[in-house]
Amino acid sequence: MKEIELYLLSFAGQKLITSLIPMTSRDRIKTIRNLPRTMEEKRRLRNIVDKEKSKQPHHTLHSCWAHCLDSISLDYRRSKSSLSEFFSSISLWQKTLKVIGGKFGTSVLSYFNFLKWLLKFNIFSFIVNFSFIIIPQLTLPGRNTRPFTGLEILTGAGSFTETVMYYGFYTNSTIRHGSSGPSYDMQLAYIFTIGVSLVICFFSLLYSMAKYFRNNFINPHLYSRGIAKLIFCWDFTVTHEKAVKLKQKNLSTEIRENLSEILQENVKFTFRQQLARFSAHIAAWLVSTGVAIACCAAVYYLAEYNSEFLKTHTNPGAVLLLPFVVSCINLIVPRFYSMFGLVERYEMPRHEVYILLIRNVFLKMSIIGILCYYWLNTVALSDEECWETLIGQEIYRLLLMDFVFSLANSVLGEFLRRIIGMRFIKSLVLQEFDIARNVLELIYAQTLVWIGIFFCPLLPLIQMISLFIMFYVKNISLRMNFQPSNKAWRASQMITVFILLLFFPSFTGALSILAITIWRLKPSATCGPFRGLPFFIQSIYLWIDTLHRRSGYMWVVWIYQNLIGSVHFFFILTLIVLIITYLYWQITEGRKVMIRLLHEQIINEGKDKMFLIEKLTKLQEMEKIENPRALILERRQTEVRLHVVLGTLGTQTCLLVQSASLNWPVGS
Amino acid sequence: MRLFYRYQDLAPQLVPLDYTSCPAVKVPYELIGSMPELKDNPFRERIVQVFSEDGDGHMTLDNFLDMFSVMSGMAPRDLKAYYAFRIYDFNDDNYICAWDLEQTVTRLTRGELSAEEISLVCEKVLDEADSDHDGRLSLEDFQSMILRAPDFLSTFHIRI
Repeated sequence: MKEIELYLLSFAGQKLITSLIPMTSRDRIKTIRNLPRTMEEKRRLRNIVDKEKSKQPHHTLHSCWAHCLDSISLDYRRSKSSLSEFFSSISLWQKTLKVIGGKFGTSVLSYFNFLKWLLKFNIFSFIVNFSFIIIPQLTLPGRNTRPFTGLEILTGAGSFTETVMYYGFYTNSTIRHGSSGPSYDMQLAYIFTIGVSLVICFFSLLYSMAKYFRNNFINPHLYSRGIAKLIFCWDFTVTHEKAVKLKQKNLSTEIRENLSEILQENVKFTFRQQLARFSAHIAAWLVSTGVAIACCAAVYYLAEYNSEFLKTHTNPGAVLLLPFVVSCINLIVPRFYSMFGLVERYEMPRHEVYILLIRNVFLKMSIIGILCYYWLNTVALSDEECWETLIGQEIYRLLLMDFVFSLANSVLGEFLRRIIGMRFIKSLVLQEFDIARNVLELIYAQTLVWIGIFFCPLLPLIQMISLFIMFYVKNISLRMNFQPSNKAWRASQMITVFILLLFFPSFTGALSILAITIWRLKPSATCGPFRGLPFFIQSIYLWIDTLHRRSGYMWVVWIYQNLIGSVHFFFILTLIVLIITYLYWQITEGRKVMIRLLHEQIINEGKDKMFLIEKLTKLQEMEKIENPRALILERRQTEVRLHVVLGTLGTQTCLLVQSASLNWPVGS
Repeated sequence: MRLFYRYQDLAPQLVPLDYTSCPAVKVPYELIGSMPELKDNPFRERIVQVFSEDGDGHMTLDNFLDMFSVMSGMAPRDLKAYYAFRIYDFNDDNYICAWDLEQTVTRLTRGELSAEEISLVCEKVLDEADSDHDGRLSLEDFQSMILRAPDFLSTFHIRI
């Protein structure tokens, strides 16, 4: 008889079958799928369970209902799996990503996956904007009085000003086709579309962040040195022969470093050395913060000077000076920060990467911050005709210049470096893909898009096109100019950090800028969907007022007044959320204590086991030499005790694994 | 379906298009080991042995599908940990002993480390991961160690 049939006849097998029978078919299939057995055995098990189940008597009514539910869920599952297969077959760039992962490993692949993920956000925003704002506007006859010159693509001004690209073009009226056709209020549509797309982005970001955070957060108490992890977490996705050889070499180097760390005593620095290192850190931080602040001040004064210059001279290309300077700062200063690594010494290379990341984030976010401050305080309050369009144009120029610089960096910079390296200086040839810098560039561009979406609804389309082109350019540049990295990169933790950065300074910053705009600023009087109102938010207040008069929509007014507008509701909601968080925290702490106790117990049981094994072997030897009868009883007792200890050891290790995975539910 | 075509491409003369007519057809190890996804993997022999029907490396379609479904991105962590444990257990005794570790490390480093360094590494791994201190890793030790390695799911993965 085959092994599976033997197993099923055994006691454990019968227990398995009886546990599977009462489950719903969905749970049963899931449990059978997770068993570590071959497919043939699983199929046989499923057939046996089905046969047993059909033998059992059942109530006709209950079975009819259950049967219906079963067939519905089966159809649903089948359609879901065929849909997911369809999506994966048309999934963008799947083959290219596989090749990149095979040659360069998981960490470089994470950059490209991040790019693809941002592309999805932009596609979604664009589709929403297009359907709800741009198409209705396009149905109205528009007028474009300015001629098209080629410079518009770079500056965004000129003939582009009076197109659907910018806020200023949109009408504030209610679009109505025919005398009794449906009416479409452009004001409400504008504010609601942008609001809804940002809210959906918010929840989607929150969900992704929570998912990655849960999977990748390691309890620092359990963090081990890592040799076992190095050995057992070999990257099976690497399939290129040279890459595999390189990875093997890197692994050996890392193992040697790890071994020497363990063998050496912890080197204690003298007080003088510690002081020297501390002062080097402080100096580096002062210099980096000073440089960032200096750049921000330079950008601010340049912006002011530029606007005054533009008032007197009418050179259309002069508007490009500010974006050019900002992009130069973004190009040069991060490389300057990397040079600090020559002076500062860190205990772990991971700290160096994180600190560099923090400095770069601070630089980029403060530049965006100072620009927003300038726009909202100076441009919006000046008496310009259509200040929202002006801000939209500025953001468009910044984005475009950033894109041009990245292209130039990849095409010219990296290729040139390889050519120079091959001819002259050999050491320059080994370029490694700097993941942190590239991801920060993506985050910077996405922040600009989120801020600018209110002033320039077509911005997601532009970002989509630029991300698309960047993917191919970076891919080609990677394959031709780069080598797989020598450093160990903890890819999953870094992705968590990147998504956190995307959420926290980037998205929340953009949301706060938009909130300030909507609540505090006065729309321009002659253009845009909100012309004439004292504040942008006034449109919503007016709408609620009109709803008051209509009897059918009182529930909307009720929701607005009692849920969104009232303080008590938010107070109660916050209280509930805090209570739930506190309870979950206590549960986690309790589980941690249990894990620690189980761990200690396992160690003790292990010691018991070794002691009993030694005793057993000694008794067996003595039995051979001396009188057997006297020792048989003692030997039997020791054997029984050993079996008990082994049993408890097994269950306790299982319990430990279970509670640890409950606490940190990693994986599925 | 895609996987079936890949399987059939390995040995078109052996595997008929209508698989149900002779389901016991086995593709020999040499052909499977030459697949581009497995060709340069240092553990390809062990992977194919673990998933094959009789442990000799020759796989039927069922074994082939099994292998790629466990190594895919959607298999649960416990299933992957179980099969990873079997792959690293070279002598098939349900424990990863020091000899198994030595074999693993040799394949991973391909001659770069000396024999003493390898034995030192094996000692350190047993120190870290062996929680019941019996000198070898059981499945539970392995699983609890994998819990601390969040990269495991994404690295124990073969894309096809």
